[in-house]
Amino acid sequence: MTAVVRAEGLTKYYGRRRGLEDLTLDIRPGEIFGYLGPNGAGKTTTIRLLLDVIRPTRGHVRVLGADSREAAVRRRIGYLPGDLALEEREPGRAYLQFLGKVRGGVPAARIDALAERLDADLSVPMRKLSKGNRQKIGLIQAFMHEPEFLILDEPTGGLDPLVQQEFLAMVREVRTSGRTVLMSSHVLAEVEHVSDRVGIVRAGRLVAVENVAALREKAVRRVEFHFDAPVPREAFEHLPGVRDLRVAGASVRCTIDGRPDPLIKAAARFTVVHMVSAEPDLEEIFLTYYSGEDHDHDRQVSA
Amino acid sequence: MIAKCLRDWRRTLIWWTIGIGAFMALYLGTYQSIKQAPEIYGPAGLAKFPGALRDLMGGLEDFTSGTGYLQSVVYQLFVPFLFIVCAMVLAGRALAGPEEAGTLELIVTLPVDRRRLVLERFASIALGLLAVAAVTLLVTWAMAEAVGMGVGFDRILAAHLGVYLLALLFGTVTLAVGAATGRKAAASAVMGVWAVLGYMVVTIGRNVEAIAWLKWVSPFHYYAEGRPLYEGLPAGDYLVLAAATAVLALTAVLAFDRRDVGV
Ligand SMILES: Nc1ncnc2c1ncn2[C@@H]1O[C@H](COP(=O)(O)OP(=O)(O)OP(=O)(O)O)[C@@H](O)[C@H]1O
Ligand SMILES: [Mg+2]
Repeated sequence: MTAVVRAEGLTKYYGRRRGLEDLTLDIRPGEIFGYLGPNGAGKTTTIRLLLDVIRPTRGHVRVLGADSREAAVRRRIGYLPGDLALEEREPGRAYLQFLGKVRGGVPAARIDALAERLDADLSVPMRKLSKGNRQKIGLIQAFMHEPEFLILDEPTGGLDPLVQQEFLAMVREVRTSGRTVLMSSHVLAEVEHVSDRVGIVRAGRLVAVENVAALREKAVRRVEFHFDAPVPREAFEHLPGVRDLRVAGASVRCTIDGRPDPLIKAAARFTVVHMVSAEPDLEEIFLTYYSGEDHDHDRQVSA
Repeated sequence: MIAKCLRDWRRTLIWWTIGIGAFMALYLGTYQSIKQAPEIYGPAGLAKFPGALRDLMGGLEDFTSGTGYLQSVVYQLFVPFLFIVCAMVLAGRALAGPEEAGTLELIVTLPVDRRRLVLERFASIALGLLAVAAVTLLVTWAMAEAVGMGVGFDRILAAHLGVYLLALLFGTVTLAVGAATGRKAAASAVMGVWAVLGYMVVTIGRNVEAIAWLKWVSPFHYYAEGRPLYEGLPAGDYLVLAAATAVLALTAVLAFDRRDVGV
């Protein structure tokens, strides 16, 4: 299958300001791709290039197998802008109907169903809505024509936790139906649970593309065991992946890299009364990418 | 798209129609009293006005004939400029306004070709202005009949068509500059300067040798030179206005097609 996005050497300068430098990236059909980076990293720039809102300085990009300049392909895309601006005077419903009509028709029932799910108010002029309630209208218009490819620039901005959950459920449904999503965010936690892969941009460059499952496997995990009797330190030393080992009486604390299997097997020889395993702290890894302290991490896993 | 534009502009269009219509009605309504005071408003009376003012008002030769009054008061300065400002407002809302507000970003990501988008915006301006022009034409004609001006409908139609073409031209200037720069203020400024200088050139400037040639780039030359109220439809001049509008619309299309939106 052809890639949903195929960017090669994509570069954008705003005059002399760098927006994005030499982005080469494939997004595969059916995946959810999280696009992460600090403020001003180039996320919005990338997304606008995909949608032909702005034109690349160098390089090129194909979206859904077509040149990004072809207007017809945009019928198959749903887009939520990062700086969403809605028409002030118009009520949400009229605006959504207009957008739906230009995209080739969207059943009114589908708009209503989405509005109900997100608890959006479509009857008042949009200037009267709060930030989060505008964002809901932005989400509805992106999802309503059931596009093959959803591009969401900071979709959760302004949404309360309940609506965020509903939104993530909607994203999962999109994946279930085999469609593709690209969503940007500042923090991993927001996209971690739905994304298959994440890409990290910093200062205009893509510094890493990682598989979330693989990352989780690789991540450092803090583990604690409590036994019914004191255990010998030797039983846990030199296990693969185990570091920072501290044995104090009947308790063992350590961090592990990768699979916990050897550690579990070692612990199983004693009587375990209590065990604590913290969620892998992926955020820590990402903060290293963000700040750019660790250049050894500049790798790109792309398959 | 066009229907949406016109719906969004509905309020503006209605208010401008009412405004211009009321202006017409008011001024044409006073014609009766002016006709009865030839000592003030006849050629001799008007000669007392300062020369520069007379030039600015297109000569002020004659107020007491229906044609002269209609020309001087309605079609010389006020109504064309009202229409031009109306066109400028609409054109500002067509592209540059939404671009500055940020709403254009979603519109350009719809499955509509950018060139088509600009053409549709142009068509919206043309249709919106046409609606205002059609209603005010009827008002003018009705008032002219009511006060007994003795000007034929064909002449008023010819003059009104000129106003429409002139306003559409300036509206397209605004659209083109807005399409090329994305700035509403810049677009209005360029249009305003061209309109004011263009008007001066064909009025006060017409006797100044050094700048007389500038009249060829002033749309007002093609608007007024044929004296449509007196001599009927100046087809050649109007074609120049229409052709210039077409060229500007094309410029707007090409300029917008190659630009980054919203930067
Ligand atoms: N219109 C513009 N003119 C000039 N420079 C711009 C413009 N838009 C973006 N930039 C620059 O391009 C770089 C990338 O900006 P971009 O908006 O893509 O960042 P981002 O990753 O979306 O950030 P945020 O998380 O704050 O939304 C920034 O350094 C920014 O200053
Ligand atoms: Mg952004």
